Amino acid sequence: MRGADGALLEVRDLKVEFRTRDGVAHAVNGVSYEVDAGETLAVLGESGSGKSVTAQAVMGILDTPPGKVTGGRILFQGRDLLTLKEEERRRIRGAGMAMIFQDALSALNPVISVGDQLGEMFVVHRGMSKKDARGKAVELMERVRIPAAAQRVRDYPHQFSGGMRQRIMIAMALALEPALIIADEPTTALDVTVQAQVMDLLAELQREYHMGLILITHDLGVVADVADRIAVMYAGKIVESAPVRDIYKAPAHPYTRGLLDSIPRLDQKGHQLYAIKGLPPNLMHIPPGCSFHPRCPMARDVCRTDEPPLYEVSGTRGSACHFWRECLDDLDDLDG
Amino acid sequence: MTSTTSTAEPILEVTGLVKHYPLTRGILFKKQIGAVKAVDGVDFTLARGETLGIVGESGCGKSTVAKLLCNLERPTAGSIRFKGEDITKLSGKALKAVRRNIQMVFQDPYTSLNPRMTVGDIIGEPYDIHPEAAPKGDRRRRVQELLDVVGLDPEYVNRYPHQFSGGQRQRIGIARGLALRPEVIVADEPVSALDVSVQAQVINLMDRLQSEFDLSYVFIAHDLSIVRHISDRVGVMYLGRIVEIGRDAEIYDHPTHPYTQALLSAVPVPDPEAREQRERIILSGDVPSPTNIPSGCRFRTRCWKAQERCVREVPALAVPAVFRDTSGPAAHASACHFAEEKQVVPAEDS
Ligand SMILES: Nc1ncnc2c1ncn2[C@@H]1O[C@H](COP(=O)(O)OP(=O)(O)O)[C@@H](O)[C@H]1O
Ligand SMILES: Nc1ncnc2c1ncn2[C@@H]1O[C@H](COP(=O)(O)OP(=O)(O)O)[C@@H](O)[C@H]1O
Ligand code: SF4
Ligand code: SF4
Ligand SMILES: [Mg+2]
Ligand SMILES: [Mg+2]
Repeated sequence: MRGADGALLEVRDLKVEFRTRDGVAHAVNGVSYEVDAGETLAVLGESGSGKSVTAQAVMGILDTPPGKVTGGRILFQGRDLLTLKEEERRRIRGAGMAMIFQDALSALNPVISVGDQLGEMFVVHRGMSKKDARGKAVELMERVRIPAAAQRVRDYPHQFSGGMRQRIMIAMALALEPALIIADEPTTALDVTVQAQVMDLLAELQREYHMGLILITHDLGVVADVADRIAVMYAGKIVESAPVRDIYKAPAHPYTRGLLDSIPRLDQKGHQLYAIKGLPPNLMHIPPGCSFHPRCPMARDVCRTDEPPLYEVSGTRGSACHFWRECLDDLDDLDG
Repeated sequence: MTSTTSTAEPILEVTGLVKHYPLTRGILFKKQIGAVKAVDGVDFTLARGETLGIVGESGCGKSTVAKLLCNLERPTAGSIRFKGEDITKLSGKALKAVRRNIQMVFQDPYTSLNPRMTVGDIIGEPYDIHPEAAPKGDRRRRVQELLDVVGLDPEYVNRYPHQFSGGQRQRIGIARGLALRPEVIVADEPVSALDVSVQAQVINLMDRLQSEFDLSYVFIAHDLSIVRHISDRVGVMYLGRIVEIGRDAEIYDHPTHPYTQALLSAVPVPDPEAREQRERIILSGDVPSPTNIPSGCRFRTRCWKAQERCVREVPALAVPAVFRDTSGPAAHASACHFAEEKQVVPAEDS
């Protein structure tokens, strides 16, 4: 539900740093986004762009130290999470928001049966008896369509296939019916046919429970299939934010456009793929001005000195490019 | 001409290729209790200058096929003819000579390069094994030339792998694969570990090298979009066998095997408007274990069209009878008793 005064989750100007021996990595540099109940926000970006770190800060599971939130606010159902005590945050984790990770095998405890792991949620958070909790565990396993749930509730994680384990992760996340789920590359490790099963399940459950969903991924195909809105991240910033259809039709940032043009299409036999030149920046030395300028085919002098704010493209779209108008207009000739 | 073969004279001809790994129990007295049927009867040909893509989900035997082609493993049965000569029967000098001609590029640019060797040593290593390929005094120059060919600064010869990004490391792997001037390159998931923007750089490089050096590629991947982009023909593997093979448009626009249809329908297409037009075939269950392959058609436990005949009779990889007298794109090899056309990828709109 959208509270009287705002979205389910509102991240405002979040900044996260990692202090390491080699220097300070500026992993998140002023990220803002919102998620409403029932909405799916996809956070898209290449590896190292700060997607997971942002999510970890929201969940309160940042690796601290070396990581540290150095600025911003995280409002969840109207409360600023960064001002809460750890005990209070722990209560919110699980009951208020839950996370699904890419690698289910390392996120689940290998020596505890899946039934006990699922049941524990109810024992700890809801004070249920072990027996009732086991019944709940079977129910959840059935919800995520694990065949023969009652027989398999005593099995250990390694006894399930990759796709089934990811269903168990989803069941864990759903257990306490949280208002928000953050799924960090939930299907990246799975084969396409299994990926499709798992994404369909996740989308269906989200609709049913009317949850907010943050879907972190680097796969533009997965995003197109399930998201309502997209936030594109680059070097710890959101460079473009828009409803999903708009972005695929006409990206308003050269980075988004480069990404879209660099993927081969299943339905099109392409020739030369567009390749974004160069590499993402070292987060210890982010280029001044627009951090994308060394790779941008549209860069000019002002880009090397002035950092673009997130310009308002329309009521529902934003782009952190000084020349977003040109990018929108200029649909065809991106020079290689 | 059947569709498993192509018009030009094949540079590689694979027939009945099988690789079974024994499954043993006991430490002292190993007793064979079964076999992992990693590759279980694979046939295909590769024409000179052509790219054959091989797709399939993890565990279906793609990497094992790659290793067999490069002679890194010996097959349990079957033959691999390189320009007419069965290389599985060779040994000694003759084997070494053939090996030069078929080189592999590996998936993981992070683990496949020795971290303690300089880039120059890594790329030049094949010359240690095949000293006849380059005189000693000439090696450094050749290595620098190779770096240049793959788009890296020739001055990097003395650097170590950790000083490079994933995409650059994959270029190093490709340079190494080219060192002996092979005629065939077997690339096993060469871009799967890379980010999309870098993936495009490497794919474009492989495209350019193919025409520059007249290479024939076997390009293995689980990403069907990439395979379509780079391949002339595509083979779809399931549980150790190719179940459908043909030209790229035959497979992508006119698939006749239910597994190919399901696989294609599951691929997310980066276009929100295409999502409404597409029919998703969601397969039930998981792939069976390669130690226990179903009788008859190996796909039958997940096939929505399976019938009694599929339990009893193994479908051959050939042009199905219904299409045999047609000349359209559906007339390509498909191992299904009930093959029929089904369009699952929306038609190209631009
Ligand atoms: N535990 C850590 N220690 C040090 N640096 C970290 C740690 N986790 C993340 N980082 C830094 O944050 C950057 C962004 O990481 P991440 O959010 O995981 O990227 P992604 O977009 O791939 O999810 C990394 O490139 C790295 O520099
Ligand atoms: N050396 C080996 N010993 C036993 N089984 C193996 C060996 N190598 C591969 N396999 C098995 O063979 C099957 C096919 O593996 P692989 O060729 O790596 O598949 P893919 O590359 O398509 O994922 C898998 O079930 C795998 O576990
Ligand atoms: S601000 Fe300049 S460098 Fe940055 S994306 Fe826009 S045009 Fe490119
Ligand atoms: S032979 Fe039968 S089980 Fe196999 S793919 Fe065809 S219809 Fe399905
Ligand atoms: Mg991540
Ligand atoms: Mg493999």
